[in-house]
Amino acid sequence: MLEYSILAGILFGLYFGLVALGLNLIFGVMKIVNLAHGDFLMLGAYGAYIVFTDFHVNPLVTLLAEIVIFVIIGFPLYYLLVPRLQASRDPEMLSLILFFGLSQVIEALATLGFGSSERSIPGTVLGSAPISIFQQTFPVAWVVSGSVSLLAVGAIYVYLYRTRLGQLTRAVMAQREEALSTGIDVQRISAIAFGIGIAGAAVAGVLSPFMMGSITPAMGVSVTITSFAVIVMGSLGNPLGTVAGGIIYGIALMFMQTYFSSWANLLPYLLLIAILLVKPTGLFGRRVRNA
Amino acid sequence: MVRRTFASLLIAAFVALGVYGTGAQAAQAAQAPPFIKIGTLYASAGPFAAISMPVHKALQLWEEQVNAQGGIYVKPYGKKIPIKIIAYDDQSSTSTAATLYNQLITQDKVDILVSDSGSVLTSVAVPIAREHKMLLFDQTGTGMNFFTADNPYIVLLSDPISNLWPKNAAEFLTKEGPKLGIKRVALLYSTNDFTGSQATGFRDVFKGSAIDVVYDHGVPTNTSSYTVLIQTIKALNPDAVIELGYPNNDIAFLRDLQGSGTKFKMVFTVYPGLETDLLLKTVGEKGLAYTYTYTPPTAIKYKPDFGMNLDAFKAAWVKKYKDTTDFGFNAVAGYVTALVLEKTLATTDTMDQMALRKAVFALSGKLRTLDGTFMLRSDGAQIGELTPLGQIVPSGNGEVKFVILYPPEAANGKAVYPAP
Repeated sequence: MLEYSILAGILFGLYFGLVALGLNLIFGVMKIVNLAHGDFLMLGAYGAYIVFTDFHVNPLVTLLAEIVIFVIIGFPLYYLLVPRLQASRDPEMLSLILFFGLSQVIEALATLGFGSSERSIPGTVLGSAPISIFQQTFPVAWVVSGSVSLLAVGAIYVYLYRTRLGQLTRAVMAQREEALSTGIDVQRISAIAFGIGIAGAAVAGVLSPFMMGSITPAMGVSVTITSFAVIVMGSLGNPLGTVAGGIIYGIALMFMQTYFSSWANLLPYLLLIAILLVKPTGLFGRRVRNA
Repeated sequence: MVRRTFASLLIAAFVALGVYGTGAQAAQAAQAPPFIKIGTLYASAGPFAAISMPVHKALQLWEEQVNAQGGIYVKPYGKKIPIKIIAYDDQSSTSTAATLYNQLITQDKVDILVSDSGSVLTSVAVPIAREHKMLLFDQTGTGMNFFTADNPYIVLLSDPISNLWPKNAAEFLTKEGPKLGIKRVALLYSTNDFTGSQATGFRDVFKGSAIDVVYDHGVPTNTSSYTVLIQTIKALNPDAVIELGYPNNDIAFLRDLQGSGTKFKMVFTVYPGLETDLLLKTVGEKGLAYTYTYTPPTAIKYKPDFGMNLDAFKAAWVKKYKDTTDFGFNAVAGYVTALVLEKTLATTDTMDQMALRKAVFALSGKLRTLDGTFMLRSDGAQIGELTPLGQIVPSGNGEVKFVILYPPEAANGKAVYPAP
């Protein structure tokens, strides 16, 4: 069971790394906490569900379309909300309130639009036969989700470290004021990062029916809480550290389920407290400053 | 002279009676409120929205139907009175629910207090109702600890008390199981009042039997991944696996079971029977095939002696809500609540809370709805409306059928064991 728990934890953790990736990118660039992150994931999930049930489109195809759609949605949303927020005295604190409100609005509208019942996409859409890894069998959806997560992380890495826009994004992440003084269009860079951030949430949302069993309009809050724990572990503001945070969370969760199943829901909070007490900057905290 | 005196007295008596009668009627009419206020909560969002909204919408459907006919007969006023449901949204939050229950009692001064659906959101209503000496019409809050001999302010209407739910399934395992070769059972449950009490019900029946519980663990109700748990159980090689959860748990468990390619000889879950449409949409026919569950009223089709039968109710539901809310056990539960309220108000002597309790108890064993026979224990717990154990058989066209296995008097088939 030990090997199974570790492998399952890695696959599940890779997915949660993807879930939290966008939240951390947005925090890293804008220093705001998007408490509606889980709700964007939920919208991505319903997008895939509706497209699949109405038009029988494979979720992996929808996933690609949603990247474009959510990046486009992110632009006006950014300009509507964030610049005004950043003009305030305490943008970080006010972002909590503003995005909490946005989260509530999205959830309420989604409930009206989609109903409150659980919905899902048949697991067999991504393949029916389980996949064997080191003599351990896993649902194909887990392997697909883990692979998509790795691809997404790779894409973010390439964006940040191999493109001109990524270089500018890292400059903004390192020191916003200095970036502004050097003539970088901080608002544009931030808007792109915001779009990528919520697109990341949407991609994770497309895969959520396979990883979480079902989706409901209410799922956003718990997803945001878990994402927050994951990014604190990996370090706030360091998108790539998020993956490590996700894997630690995944393995810890699987161990908890195996040996102390009743206490498993305490895990995100326990890890959060432990990390904040032992290494408040997160496991990869130093890299934030050097980004 | 005597005759004249007698006639005069008779006329005077008639006049007096007439005056009194008119006066009494006038007084009664004056006392009758414009409507009967029924206070309740619902969860439009949050983890309990899926079980709360169908129950609430069934109450709304009933309100619309009876008010279209001038209301319901309320015996203390001797006439039909429209009903008004005062409902607030607790958003699945127990703290919000506690505030709103208080508001219904102290500010809205409702005549009747009905809890939100499910044990979690009912749990906060139990002490509040008791403190205010209001009878709590508990719809589906089935937690065992809600019902105590010293609390007369609660009656459970639409579901049996949780630890009674598994009676037929557990007895099947202890009595029929050994004949099929079932000895080792795994018990996995969500740690909430509803499913925790059912786990207790299973354990109670298993005590002293040939059944050996080789795995007995709880998981948080928000658990969405069961793959590792399934592997842990598989390593113990059980003959039967019982998974007790809310819809989100059962969906995740059955999907992960299918996805991991693991086969157990017998799998029992709660919601394929209660919310069959929902589980078919989320798990699919293949994932439900040959699993065991509570047989729903939709499969039994009880002949009610009060209210609509299942087909009529479903037709009314579909007409009003179309496919915006899944029709299932919770919709039936809400309607049963409405029927009990209607009967109670038609038979109670006064609107006093203890009189209402007396009227509800008078229905015990006599009221038969589309959900079976309504029967109360002295502490207010529902002990009727028990669901038989059934097995789901795929039909091959995306639908499923239920074969009733236990109790023997209700059985219409034999278990397919081990599951193919």
